Amino acid sequence: MRLEIASYQVKDVRFGAATRLRDGVLEIDADELRRLLLQDPALDDVTVALARPGESVRIIHVLDTVEPRARMSQPGTDFPGHLSPPLTVGEGRTHRLAGVAVMETAELPLSLGGLNVKEAIVDMSGPAAAFTPFASTLNVVLTFKVCPGLSYAEYDAAIRHAGLRAAVHLAEVTRDLPPHEVETFALGPSSPDLPRIVYTCLLCQEGDVHHDFVYGRTVDETPTLVHPNEFLDGAIVNGEHHIAAYLKPTFFHQNHPIIRELYRRHGHELTFAGVVLTKCLTWSNFDKQRSASFAAKLARLLGAQGVVISAGTGGHAVADLMLNCQEAARAGLKTALTCFEMAGDRGDEFGFVTYVPEADAVVSTGNMDELIDLPPVERVIGGTTIIDIGDYEGGGGAAALGALTTAMRRLYCCTSLVGPGLMTTRPV
Amino acid sequence: MGTLRIVHYLNQFFAGVGGEKHANVAPERRHGAAGPGVPMQKALGEAAEIVATVYCGDDYFNVNGEAAIARIVELIAAEAPAVVVTGPAFASGRYGMACAAVGQAVEERLGIPAVTAMATDNPAVELYRRSLCIIPTGESVATTGEIVERMARIALKRGRGEPLGRPDDEGYLSRGIRQNVIVPQPAAVRVVDLVLRKVRGEPYTTEIPLPDVDPLVPAPPLRDLKTATIALVTSGGVVPRGNPDRIEARRASRWSKFSIAGLDDLSSRDFECIHGGFDNELVAADPDRVLPVDVMRELEREGSIGRLHEYCYATVGAGGPIERARRFGRDISAELLAAGVQAVIMTAT
Repeated sequence: MRLEIASYQVKDVRFGAATRLRDGVLEIDADELRRLLLQDPALDDVTVALARPGESVRIIHVLDTVEPRARMSQPGTDFPGHLSPPLTVGEGRTHRLAGVAVMETAELPLSLGGLNVKEAIVDMSGPAAAFTPFASTLNVVLTFKVCPGLSYAEYDAAIRHAGLRAAVHLAEVTRDLPPHEVETFALGPSSPDLPRIVYTCLLCQEGDVHHDFVYGRTVDETPTLVHPNEFLDGAIVNGEHHIAAYLKPTFFHQNHPIIRELYRRHGHELTFAGVVLTKCLTWSNFDKQRSASFAAKLARLLGAQGVVISAGTGGHAVADLMLNCQEAARAGLKTALTCFEMAGDRGDEFGFVTYVPEADAVVSTGNMDELIDLPPVERVIGGTTIIDIGDYEGGGGAAALGALTTAMRRLYCCTSLVGPGLMTTRPV
Repeated sequence: MGTLRIVHYLNQFFAGVGGEKHANVAPERRHGAAGPGVPMQKALGEAAEIVATVYCGDDYFNVNGEAAIARIVELIAAEAPAVVVTGPAFASGRYGMACAAVGQAVEERLGIPAVTAMATDNPAVELYRRSLCIIPTGESVATTGEIVERMARIALKRGRGEPLGRPDDEGYLSRGIRQNVIVPQPAAVRVVDLVLRKVRGEPYTTEIPLPDVDPLVPAPPLRDLKTATIALVTSGGVVPRGNPDRIEARRASRWSKFSIAGLDDLSSRDFECIHGGFDNELVAADPDRVLPVDVMRELEREGSIGRLHEYCYATVGAGGPIERARRFGRDISAELLAAGVQAVIMTAT
């Protein structure tokens, strides 16, 4: 499988009379984009706003974030399982607008039992900007108003499809333009002397607020193999909106930091032996053990000596992470993990709900309980007030324009589990 | 900058008064440095002076508690030091407790910074590490020279009000507080580095050290279920409607105890699920699905179990820390034992 990703670097984004890319400036015809997205009858309205790094802007109610992409070799195969038939991607040529992110926001004041959408904040400047990866992208923010009377699942699907559609629409402007850079991704020959490393990616499936998609379906209890290019080419789409800090938006599957790092070292430091996809938040200990043992076996079948395992989400998904580590270690594989910490707002509690002694090489993506003071901002996109359904995190109803002290849990992707961030914790 | 005034606290043995036979001596003060204070004064050089050594017998301290601390603090205060150094206590438990308690009292009551030193497994470490600056030592007194040099360096910084660097860099024990920091490499690069180091057999360091592993050992099985009193305990957040104990929806800081006397099952009119970490619609409709009073009553009627305990206990996990869960477990177990309960069915979500 050989995938060429052609990058078109974008320096700035602005509204214009036509959607086009000129001299590194992305111009967007907002009316045209709105008309395209509002073809979906579930959507009542959408507004398009722009947020640039350094601006005094706070984006709230963030759902998924997508990088503008268009598959060139086989038109009409973008985001398979969502916008196109669920057929394998990861080959051919795909164009990307580098430096741009399409961000979905909506106020969905729905409680599905205990699960509901939690507040997710991106500050484009100020102290939080250092922690949120999307403070450094040019963000095209879509704020949706949904039609009343539909189910959460229907809203979720409508918004997700609209975000993906907008991402393809914007990337289409590159079709006849020369790229700045073309990267090729293929698991080419490597030296047998190099250590073989497998990446085991935990995805989640619990309910409508808590799920990741693989070709349009949620992941099940039996782990499977995928080619890393499938991640990079739109096969994995995020539908998790639970806790903002540790999300893995579609953007980070398209630019998967761990997969890209394994590719970067493939053939000279290691042999990238493949990706195992497995589910976390399985419902029983039986299923957790079964999945973990199965995933370790698949890594062995790939000839792995080492396996990188990223946590999938929080809560008892940490038990899935730990069991995956334990089973891989029992299978004779060396393991290294990524996980966020919940060490309390003072940082004085042990940050995991459970652990195994084999978890002796863990990379922390940060303590999401630590408090941060957000200053007032000049402009808010996505809504007007901070949501907190069921008094889960406190501070609900606060004006989003104002100063806010919050746990970093609400900072979108600040402790993202797929490893884009520069945050960790240090003892003091 | 003038010479910094330091007071050094020691036990009777290190102050040169004598061993166990003299462990009853009351708090005393003498001019200048004594015992390990002598090499410490050398390390301090001109920058600071150990103006007095305050000492107390280990037994005296142990028996007199607060009265001993108050007197020691009084003796120290009279010297108006800029910083107080206690120990090193090495592995001695009683002496370690005294060094830590004096250090803490000086900081809290006099607002003067303190520095102490002891072995990492000294019992005082777990009790005081979160609030005190403790320099780790080995168990052997032979390392005194190196330890007092480090104590001198850190005491100078604290006495001058200079910020301390990170524990590993400065050589004091982490207070067990983890702080977010930005590092040069993203997590993805760090995790690939880690796995490669492990595969190559190179040394590697985890970013999240695990606590001492404390395996859970299940209690032995009941000898006779038919006569046993069994209680229901849950972390699933089923509580009387209205949540009278105000149990939080996540990481609850407390637990709720409520009577189920006379109830054959839990109706959604009287009970609710306030757990915020899972889709609790089904439990809201039938709270027995997390707290199975209905099934337990059946077993009770059939005679399969002796009796269902009249009180249930409920809290919410949802990411609650292990330490807190241990505390809840200890407290609830104590009540259940006192009430003559022989077994517990614990349900989670």
